[in-house]
Amino acid sequence: MANKKLKRKIIEEKEIKVDEKPKEQSVETEEDEDYESDKDLLVEIDNEDQQENDENEEEDDSDSDDILSFESFKSDYEENENDFNSENDEEEQLEFEDSSVEDELTTEELESLKKKQEEKQKIKELVEFRKKERVEQKETSKLIMDTLRQPEDETYLAMRENSVQSKSLPGPSNLSDEIEESDKKKFVEYEDDGDTSDEEDIRNTVGNIPLHWYDEYKHIGYDWEGRKIMKPPAKDQLDVFLRKMEDPDFWRTVKDPQTGQDVVLSEEDIQLIKLIKKQRAPDQNFDAYEPWVEWFTSEVEKFPIRNIPDSKQSFLPSKVEKKKIGRLVHSLKMGWMKTKAEQEKIDAEKKIPKFYMLWDSDTGREKMRRIHDHVTAPKRALPGHAESYNPPSEYLFNEKELQDWQNLSDEPHKRKLHFIPQKYKSLRQVPYYQNYIRERFIRCLDLYLCPRAKRMKATVQPEDLIPKLPSSKDLQPFPTTQSMIYRGHNDIVRTMSIEPKGQYFVTGSDDKTIKIWEIATGRCIKTINTKGVVRSVAWCPNQKISLIAVASDKRLLLINPHVGDIKLISKKTDDILAEAPVSEEIENERIKTAVQWSAEIDKDEYKDGVRIVINHFQEIAQVTWHAKGDYFATVMPNGLSRSVLVHQLSKRRSQTSFSKSHGMVQCVLFHPIKPCLFVASQQHIRIYDLVKQEMIKKLMPSCKWISKMAIHPKGDNLLVSTYDKKVMWFDLDLSTKPYQTLKLHASAVRSVAYHSRYPLFASGSDDRGVIVCHGMVYNDLLQNALIVPLKRLEFHEKVSDYGIFEVLFHTTQPWLFSSGSDYTVRLYT
Amino acid sequence: MASSRARNNEEQQLQIHLITKQSQFAVPDTPYTIQSNVTTTELNNLVNTLLEASQNEMYSETEFDFLVKGEFLKTNLAKHLKDREISFEDVIDVEYVERFPAPEPIDCLLHDDWVAAVQSYGEWILTGCYDNSVNIWNMKGEHKLTLSGHDGPCSSVAWISLNEDSGIGLFASGSKDQIIKIWEWNCHQNKAQCIFTCKGHERAIECISVSPNGKHIASGGWDNFLKVWSASTLDETTGSGSSKKVKTDEANVRTPISTLEGHKEAISSVHWIDNGTILSSSWDHTMKIWDLNMRALKNEIAGNKSFFDVSYSHLNGLIIAASADKNLRLFDPKSNQGTIVKSTFLGHNQWVSSVRWSKTEEFLFISGSYDNAVKLWDYRSPKAPLFDLVGHEDKVMAVDWSNPKYMVSGGADNSVRIFKSRKVLEE
Repeated sequence: MANKKLKRKIIEEKEIKVDEKPKEQSVETEEDEDYESDKDLLVEIDNEDQQENDENEEEDDSDSDDILSFESFKSDYEENENDFNSENDEEEQLEFEDSSVEDELTTEELESLKKKQEEKQKIKELVEFRKKERVEQKETSKLIMDTLRQPEDETYLAMRENSVQSKSLPGPSNLSDEIEESDKKKFVEYEDDGDTSDEEDIRNTVGNIPLHWYDEYKHIGYDWEGRKIMKPPAKDQLDVFLRKMEDPDFWRTVKDPQTGQDVVLSEEDIQLIKLIKKQRAPDQNFDAYEPWVEWFTSEVEKFPIRNIPDSKQSFLPSKVEKKKIGRLVHSLKMGWMKTKAEQEKIDAEKKIPKFYMLWDSDTGREKMRRIHDHVTAPKRALPGHAESYNPPSEYLFNEKELQDWQNLSDEPHKRKLHFIPQKYKSLRQVPYYQNYIRERFIRCLDLYLCPRAKRMKATVQPEDLIPKLPSSKDLQPFPTTQSMIYRGHNDIVRTMSIEPKGQYFVTGSDDKTIKIWEIATGRCIKTINTKGVVRSVAWCPNQKISLIAVASDKRLLLINPHVGDIKLISKKTDDILAEAPVSEEIENERIKTAVQWSAEIDKDEYKDGVRIVINHFQEIAQVTWHAKGDYFATVMPNGLSRSVLVHQLSKRRSQTSFSKSHGMVQCVLFHPIKPCLFVASQQHIRIYDLVKQEMIKKLMPSCKWISKMAIHPKGDNLLVSTYDKKVMWFDLDLSTKPYQTLKLHASAVRSVAYHSRYPLFASGSDDRGVIVCHGMVYNDLLQNALIVPLKRLEFHEKVSDYGIFEVLFHTTQPWLFSSGSDYTVRLYT
Repeated sequence: MASSRARNNEEQQLQIHLITKQSQFAVPDTPYTIQSNVTTTELNNLVNTLLEASQNEMYSETEFDFLVKGEFLKTNLAKHLKDREISFEDVIDVEYVERFPAPEPIDCLLHDDWVAAVQSYGEWILTGCYDNSVNIWNMKGEHKLTLSGHDGPCSSVAWISLNEDSGIGLFASGSKDQIIKIWEWNCHQNKAQCIFTCKGHERAIECISVSPNGKHIASGGWDNFLKVWSASTLDETTGSGSSKKVKTDEANVRTPISTLEGHKEAISSVHWIDNGTILSSSWDHTMKIWDLNMRALKNEIAGNKSFFDVSYSHLNGLIIAASADKNLRLFDPKSNQGTIVKSTFLGHNQWVSSVRWSKTEEFLFISGSYDNAVKLWDYRSPKAPLFDLVGHEDKVMAVDWSNPKYMVSGGADNSVRIFKSRKVLEE
């Protein structure tokens, strides 16, 4: 018996040892090693345990060492429990290992494995055995507690239950531990109790069953070995009394209901019970009245405990939270997430049973799954009277109609009816219609072959395509009628220019004269013979100088017209021009051969007002002033690389900016504000920066031959007329291509002009018509210019193939001049 | 059916009520029923018979014009009413006035060049010519004197005074050479000399005008300034500084008393409303009324075309203006609200260069146009003029009706035409 008990202990010890092994080793190896050397270990530990056990037994003798022995037991128990838990895991892992290993191993190895498995089986048995043992232990402790139960002490009961149910709470678990401790101590005491004759470790293995089931038996249960635990002989009243009298410990002796043994409660147990009875913490060491340490005082400190300023994070709203909230709000908005109320609503709706039409197409048109915008098949015509089985007699064919019908058998589609109306007395007599299947088939074929897709056709009214233009009435004033005819020239009037003030204008003609006219009266004030065909005149835009530049064949004349302010400005002009400035610059040979300035004028010409003559090497086609009136440019179309010359009046010198010729230069123009020069060759317009001496832009009018240019007074828009009937409006900021091309003329357009104040422009053509257009330029860069053709003025008489040579606007009034091949100039107002 | 109804329409009866402001032609105040398609001749007959009946044999036949709702009857009455949407049901007031007799052409005064300015004073006509000369003619067509002194075409002339007894006349001439000359003319000796030269304009002078009291001359021109000069014969303080310098010239030089700035473009005409108020018109589409004492702008009338000439009537206080189109416009300077243009007179085919009110007839004015015509208008008849004074063969540059008896016009055909007003003649 004692051997058995020892063995059990040894096993227990071994388990502890195993558990105590350092955890560095993997669990598997631990396990394997353990079981391989199981037997050896057993022997070894046997010896050790023997000693320990001896010691234990020695200690057990003295009551004072109760606690110690109990504690060892407790640790023993706890470790057992741990072991058990770990073993469970190990088992699982092992099993898994086996299954995986089996595939790979050879038969020899298999045998060794089998052996191992057998060993494992043994160990399993052991483990199971121990499980049982543990359950039994619990049961015994429960039994003891039942004995200790006092029905009036409900708090104790509750505490106990707690301790049994959960060990998570610290208080009750402590309690339960202590109770268990006390239980186990009792066991120890009980085991070593000298009074009991039975020295065996009688632990009942019946489990948690009502013990009254054993009331009828002599035994009370079964011990480890499966032997019956006999009930102790019942003591009669006398024995109890005697013991009560004799035994001083009688009052603390209780009966273990499971084993029927008497157990003497130790002093600590008594204390514990007392404490529980008093409803105190069942721990002797627990001091309910230990001094209070005030970690957090209610007093407000003068200075903060920490001197660290609040972190920035503490007062800055969190970005992450903001993002999160934003996401939530977004999902709420999008309806991905529902608020509680909404969700409830949905749920409520879900709860209501849904009803649906069994035949959905009953009400609406049946939706076709694949065909969108289904087009219904065209309906067949309803049957007429002729198709009736009993048609009125007029629908029946007479002989002629029948003949006709039969004659058309080659072209059945020409028949009026595709069948011969038949009359039957009753519906019953109507025979089967032979063509039925055939007609159905054809119909189906028609429907199948006919693409019945919905055609998206935009209906565009032609009127809508025309841009909405304001009516010409709203764009007044503009010239509408001829008001004056200036007659006097004896040949075509090629060119005109107006005085800046607007009182006079000058015309140049092929009759080699220029004439100065008073606009308001139509009177020719002056006629000056220039001894050459006048191809261009230009009145100096500077109001402080009274000068006209006249291009007469190869000579450029600067003429003081002596009109306007005769007294002051004309005189001043003469004075200025009388003295030639001393120029230190040595003139370029290239220019010298092209241009010579001369102030020596013969007397007759001087009388006429000619002040300076600039002799060019080629015929001058055009002369134009810069807005400030100091520079002017002349164009010699045949001058090749020297075809454009820029002259400076104040220094009396000329320069040519271009070293290379880009074709025949038609026309040049100064920018009204910027130092830019526009040079029009036959097909292109080049814009040069005069300061930087470089080309800025090249405009592509896509025409064959440019005739004239005009620049808007603000300098951002350019009009170009061409001999191929076009007038082109360039927005210089927009593109090098024309913003708009007006093809209003029937013949070559010779001249264009902008009005300096009113939003007007005009073009004159060989078709003898002048077309006045509204050309509004907005300050807003985003808004494109508004161009509205307003009026065609045709008053010039037809003399030759030429029509109008030049158009010119009055400087201040909305008046327009045109000079034509009929030797006249006309004023339109 | 339709034709008969139309005939019915034509033969519709109308009730008219004849009234007149001229008491000598008053007829009994009873309504008359007449055919609707009557014309002025029939109405004339009616009135004449009525007058004959009432005044017995004292009466000599008179021509009348008929005004219906303030406008002259030119067509038949029914059409006139229909055009003006006047109901045929009511009794229609027909006012009749003695017809202004057709002016009679008297003479043609030939010049060497275009006549740019003309003004009559009594029997004398002063003309400004493009050959830089100023000419004096009398109404009989005799050329009295040619004064040359200007260096540019004489664009305007104005009489200052003419003393019949002493025979000394004073007049001013403005020229495109920027100078106004004041001339003294001895009628009897037929000698004239320039007594003052007014220098100050910076460009051509377009117009001059003498104040009603003859003390000041206002002038305007292409320098946009309106200048006021003294017109008195005395060599007064204004010229004290410059008089010495002037002695080198043949005449004294005057500088402007005041210069009124405000017009943005050339001033085309100036007129005195009274001795302290000037009306000026300009190419900048405005008419301005200046207060001379304050030397400030009093009123401004904006048109939408350049004004070429204006005329102010002292009789009715209205302004008639010729602008850069074919129409004449009547302005009421006193009206502050609504359209300032009271009526537009259509009839000319070309720009109207010149316009003048009659000095005696409240409703009449004459206009000269570039379409070679001078027209006599009654402002109650805007659709058509009363008479066309035909004669000019080229543009009419200036008209004048200073002497109520004579309508004088000068033109680009180098001639001055004189028409006599018969009405004054009869009186």
